[in-house]
Amino acid sequence: MNYQFDFHFLTGNFGALWEGLKVTLQLALVSNVVGLILGFGLCLLTLNRWFFIRWPAQLFIEFFRCTPALLQIVWFFYCLPMLFNVFIDPITMGVLALGLNLTAFNAEAYRAGVQAVPREHLDACVALGLRPWQRTLYVILPQALRTALPVLMTNGISILQQSALVAIVAVADLMYVGKSIATEAYRPLETYSLIALIYFALSLPIAQLVQWLERRQDTALAR
Amino acid sequence: MQLDFMVVFSYWQVLAKGLALTLAFTVSCAVLGSVCGFLLSLLRLSKSPLIRIPTGLYVELFRGTPLLIQLFWIFFCLPVVFGISVPPYVSVVLALTLYMTAITSETFRGALKSIPSEQHDACTALGVASWNKVFYVIFPQALLRAVPPLLSNVVSLFKESALISSVGIADLMFVGQNISNSTARPVEFLSAVAVIYFLVAFPLTRLVGVIETRMLRRYAY
Repeated sequence: MNYQFDFHFLTGNFGALWEGLKVTLQLALVSNVVGLILGFGLCLLTLNRWFFIRWPAQLFIEFFRCTPALLQIVWFFYCLPMLFNVFIDPITMGVLALGLNLTAFNAEAYRAGVQAVPREHLDACVALGLRPWQRTLYVILPQALRTALPVLMTNGISILQQSALVAIVAVADLMYVGKSIATEAYRPLETYSLIALIYFALSLPIAQLVQWLERRQDTALAR
Repeated sequence: MQLDFMVVFSYWQVLAKGLALTLAFTVSCAVLGSVCGFLLSLLRLSKSPLIRIPTGLYVELFRGTPLLIQLFWIFFCLPVVFGISVPPYVSVVLALTLYMTAITSETFRGALKSIPSEQHDACTALGVASWNKVFYVIFPQALLRAVPPLLSNVVSLFKESALISSVGIADLMFVGQNISNSTARPVEFLSAVAVIYFLVAFPLTRLVGVIETRMLRRYAY
């Protein structure tokens, strides 16, 4: 290997990379907020006693889980404006596609947590005269969130990585900026390595946190 | 606007070809990746930090970066680094295999860890030699338990394989996008492609559930 590394060309491009990073973080964070909230709602729908509510919710989950994220993003960008004759700005559209994808995955993650709430707690809610929404918000949600937290965070990291796919439909995120710098400067090796390191640096701390949480939960269960 | 889904059927041969390519890439990379992932999971159990740290770093690096970057890196940078031309098919297979290796090694590691420590103690008490212990006690149980998550990994590999369309491989995604662009009917064709992906992936995810409830209850617990 006799390749001369040269990172000098990057000095003029830090501004562009920073802008791209901001878009990526925005996409990832807002999608996570959407996914965490809607995911819980969707999970409750799949556990509903009425078949006609349960079934479409389950279909939604399965469809998002069984098709490529890239296809979902391309579908949203090409088909939504055509079907509904609306114009949505690219970042909002990206958040919509990624957020709904995460909603489906998070709904599955919450489910185990919701089902693990002991029967006695629900009886206690009746005994205390809590309204259904109070039961959901104060009794089921905190426990489900606690059980599901490691999986929810792992899903959050993977949506950060899936957010790179919006580069394919020309949203100026980190991946897209990197791609255009690599083509312009004709330095793919340095640029792609740097971009990969940025993504890695973003996800590693969260991944470590997940491991720590899982260890804590394991010891709590063992006791 | 007028939607006409019948138009999709006149392109079924092209779509079928794309699907065949997607499946070929998925199956070959799944097999290669599972074997490499299994070996890697054994290496990660090593006591020597010289083996444990680089392998751990490999797994973290491939799990912590988008597959799209890995694909681009291998596609654009490998030829630059080694000064050789790599055919697109090879670099794509390499990228998907390396990704599958990383996620599969975690699966196997989890399965190996799931064998309770009592079994190790029992082997010591019975005087079973360490290699016999690994081959006759630990592996059979761990491998059976690894089957459902392994299948889920194959499903995610199948979905992630849509990314190879971005480097110009004519898989199902690429074909679908191409036809939708040339016929100006994205709704019909992209939806049809989504349904095809769904029809392949959904039965596989159901299979995971069936294996978990039926097979594992009988043989592994």
